[in-house]
Amino acid sequence: MANNRKNQSHVTNTMRKKTMFVSFCACLCFAIVAANMFRIQIVNYEKYKTRATQIQLRETELSAKRGTIYDANMKVLAQTATVWTIFVSPAESKTEQHRTIARGLSKILEVDEETILTKLKRTSSYYEIVKQKVDKPLADEVIRFCKENKLSGVNIVEDYKRYYPYGDFAATILGFCGSDNQGLAGLESYYDEELTGENGRVIAAKNGWGEDMGYGNEVISETRDGYSLVTTIDETVQHYLEKHLALNAEKHGAVEGAAGIVMNVKTGAILGMANYPSYDPNEPYALVDEELYNSIMAITDDTQRSQAMSRARQKQWRNKAVNDLYEPGSVFKIVTASAAIDAGTETLYSTFNCSGSVQVENRTMKCAQTWGHGHETFSQALINSCNPAFIDIGLTMGKDTFYDYFYSFGLAEKTGIDLPGEQNSLHYTADNHTTVTLASSAFGQSNKITPIQMITAVAAAVNGGNLVTPHLVSQMLDSEGNVVKDMTPEIRRQVISEETSEIIRNILKENVDTNARRAYVAGYRVGGKSGTSQKLDTARDNDYIASFVGVAPCDDPEIAILILFDTPTGEDGYYGGILAGPVVGALMGEILPYLGIEQVFSAEEQKLVSVTTPSITGYHITDAAVKLQQSGLSIKTVGSGDTVVSQYPAYGQKVTTGSTVIAYTEQGEATMVTVPDLRDKTPRSVNSTLDAMGLNISEQGAYSGNSGVRVQSQSPNAGDKVPMGTTITVTYYDPTYVE
Amino acid sequence: MAGKAKEKTKFNIKQKLNKVIRFTEKGTHIDLPILLITFILLAFGLIMLYSASYVVGIYKFNGDSLHYIKDQVKYAILGTGVMFFASKVDYHILRRYALTLLIIVYALLILALFMPEYNYCHRWITIPGVITFQPSEFAKFAVILLFASMIDRHYDKMKTFTYGVAPFIVILGTIAGLLFLEPHLSAIVITCGVGVIMMFIGGTDIKWFFRGAGIVVVAAIAAAILMPEKVAHVMPRIEAWLNPEADTTDTGYQTYQSILAIGSGGLFGLGLGNGRQKHLHLPEPQNDFIFAVICEELGFVGGMMVIILFIMLFLRGIYIATRAKDKFGAMLAVGIITQIALQAFLNVGVATGTLPNTGISLPFFSEGGTSLVVLMAEMGVVLSVSRYADLNNGD
Repeated sequence: MANNRKNQSHVTNTMRKKTMFVSFCACLCFAIVAANMFRIQIVNYEKYKTRATQIQLRETELSAKRGTIYDANMKVLAQTATVWTIFVSPAESKTEQHRTIARGLSKILEVDEETILTKLKRTSSYYEIVKQKVDKPLADEVIRFCKENKLSGVNIVEDYKRYYPYGDFAATILGFCGSDNQGLAGLESYYDEELTGENGRVIAAKNGWGEDMGYGNEVISETRDGYSLVTTIDETVQHYLEKHLALNAEKHGAVEGAAGIVMNVKTGAILGMANYPSYDPNEPYALVDEELYNSIMAITDDTQRSQAMSRARQKQWRNKAVNDLYEPGSVFKIVTASAAIDAGTETLYSTFNCSGSVQVENRTMKCAQTWGHGHETFSQALINSCNPAFIDIGLTMGKDTFYDYFYSFGLAEKTGIDLPGEQNSLHYTADNHTTVTLASSAFGQSNKITPIQMITAVAAAVNGGNLVTPHLVSQMLDSEGNVVKDMTPEIRRQVISEETSEIIRNILKENVDTNARRAYVAGYRVGGKSGTSQKLDTARDNDYIASFVGVAPCDDPEIAILILFDTPTGEDGYYGGILAGPVVGALMGEILPYLGIEQVFSAEEQKLVSVTTPSITGYHITDAAVKLQQSGLSIKTVGSGDTVVSQYPAYGQKVTTGSTVIAYTEQGEATMVTVPDLRDKTPRSVNSTLDAMGLNISEQGAYSGNSGVRVQSQSPNAGDKVPMGTTITVTYYDPTYVE
Repeated sequence: MAGKAKEKTKFNIKQKLNKVIRFTEKGTHIDLPILLITFILLAFGLIMLYSASYVVGIYKFNGDSLHYIKDQVKYAILGTGVMFFASKVDYHILRRYALTLLIIVYALLILALFMPEYNYCHRWITIPGVITFQPSEFAKFAVILLFASMIDRHYDKMKTFTYGVAPFIVILGTIAGLLFLEPHLSAIVITCGVGVIMMFIGGTDIKWFFRGAGIVVVAAIAAAILMPEKVAHVMPRIEAWLNPEADTTDTGYQTYQSILAIGSGGLFGLGLGNGRQKHLHLPEPQNDFIFAVICEELGFVGGMMVIILFIMLFLRGIYIATRAKDKFGAMLAVGIITQIALQAFLNVGVATGTLPNTGISLPFFSEGGTSLVVLMAEMGVVLSVSRYADLNNGD
């Protein structure tokens, strides 16, 4: 029985066959899965790999820090500050937290709550910007808020913001940056690539919650911060230039603005370049002209308004000195005169006869002095700014020679200054000059050039004949401060001979000494030429550009200054010598001492060692400066007004040439200073100490030019309180002197 | 004297014990190939579980990277012990307890329904601090044991409805009904799948399978018409299965993440431990989707290794079954080995998007102490069957 049961219990063949069938089915099932695996892993590997990478890795761009712009003395003119961008990754956020996120961020960042909610609804997005350029305290607050509420999907990345510490200072040179820190104007635009640097890229692994896993970060490319620019701009010079340009442009009602350039004539380095009106590159889109702003906002048509706004902004950002053309007028006579002497078509002994007008073909051209200059020499012709004489000079040399020099002086090509949008001149060539155009070109009409072309040509005329490349950047530095590139450009060519140049310098100096007295500064040998040109392309009649170019010191010129007022409407008229001349004079008086250029008094000036102080009370400070300078005195203004209300020393006092008169532009007590102890100090130390305190000096005793002399005594005594501007008498002795 | 008494006592205990647990005779041998495959799977499983679970431990259990693996290793050791013990036990003794075990399973399944809800399901029985387990793990084994016993006993009458169909359907139906209430879809699929396969091999008339299939289709259509809201509940899952990339629901998202993991593994994978998808992209990397981690880290080669190991385990188990001493042993081995293979197939099928998403663990790999111990015990039973089987070549 048991045996039988056992036999009965044996596994039958039917069971075995069915088992085989089940096994076959099982293997088939696994084969299907294996085939699917093959499809996913081998056939579609690339596709899934790419998609997996998208959700697993986050590629982040690390912004390079934009380079700094420095002035010549390494003062920061433009720099980049770290700010933060707040963005949400809806794909990585939890829906139930959206309300909290929107409410919290809205409160901290002052962004509309609904806007944030809308962004959070784009659930497939990883990058929705909530706010850019957020400062550190707010960014910190966002971080704290997210931590406290355990929020996911809110991210913060570092970014940069361009910052101009001096506000509207040197705006048209520096330019400004757009929202992505791309340079849009000025140096920011011209050197955008160099300033930008190279952004780095980092790939970071992230987990399913969208958090960085903190490891496995792979740097794809390193960040290289932008290069910094060392400019030739001198903050002090630029400051003087902007101050006087703005004061006088307002005073003279220059409705189309004003421009000024201060250039080193030997190298082409621009020490200062200013426009009026200026703007604040921190807020470049805000219109400075409030009246204009209000009139634009009053336009009802949206399209017209935005177009008007756009035009106004473009105009605000223009740099007249390089972007706009003008007819230089009589300033151009420097070029014509240089050409004539250098080509030998005229000499200093050439003479001219001016009857007040001259007939050129069928045109009658007038002289500014309608009754004529009569008989005059070459020098007198330039000093008189005599049009008939210059027509004679131009026609004598002929159009080929004229254009050769016109071209050589760089007036037919861009100067190559490192600013965007430099214009080339509109000019006649040797081929298309007529006698009439040649005649008018000779005294500065017909050809339209840029102010930067004009001052560069003048620089060549006075510096010994070298045509320089005007430039603003001298060096490029890397982020560690190493010099990457020396940017000083080379001299372009020699235009005229040194002898011709010397002749021109002397005539220009004579012009300032005898005629253009408003640009005169005692001891500094200033030369210059004024220009007044009629604008022929405006709707109104009698629109003028008043300009003046000055160079100093004339025996070995260092700087040239060009000042230009476009369409002056003030009561002082429109003559360049009257409007722009004093500005050049005032600037020379401030810049030359600052640059350490020594005063050399001529024999005539020496006679005025002791001078009587003129009255400057009631004068505009630029005019006051000119008035003092003509007496061999300098000015120090105290207060923020633009008219002198009181002065010290008072009118009619005897003071030493070179003394400083304190001009108070605000009512109030005279500023008192304590007399320092000068005993045993050197003349150099005495000068700088007293100068810094606004005190004047009268020297007695041993010759102060000898090294080694020391102060023996002083009056008033050390510790006394005296008004600023008081003269301190010091007596020197020479300790090495043996009787 | 004392020594003799001691010996006598010892003998008595052994005798008494032998009445309940009858050990196999000395000199029998377990099948070494299937033991080797089992150990390879177990070791491989532990390594992959550590790789898959350490990040989950770090993220969800306060940086404890060993959270899952330390328990799993304990249970693996315990399970190995249980396996060897079970392999020593004469499997014939088990049929005595088949009915008792089924009744206990019914009780446990009903008890589970009254346990606190976890993830909207009543699948677990928890005795706090002592043990947490799914009674469905035991239900599968109880069904296998009872079915093997029934087939062995009534093999000649299996073609009849009374012996070959009705009792099986009643048991499967009631078990499936209780599992449906939990609800635990994957356990129903495995239990019924294993049960049906055992019936097929056990000799149930083929026509009943066609009739059954017909009834299921009719029932499905009827359900679709009578309870459209239930169908509406199922449809997204089907859609998610057909197009996991376009699906934005949870199940579709899970499958898509799994496919991304598998796909980005390529031929040789990113290297052991280097998987990226387990960093919170992949749901349950330590459990339902551990196969995706394997494929991502070890590539197509690693994934195929796992599949081949399971096929080898299955074929060797079938080989043992066909050569078992008796029908009971054969059916027991078939049931157990089919259950393991079916579970592996379903898991891998879900992970690769071949099958719709139902939460199912991968034997030997997925985290879960109780199920590992039960699994090892079942392998012990198979080993016990192999002791009596005629495994010599020839015959």
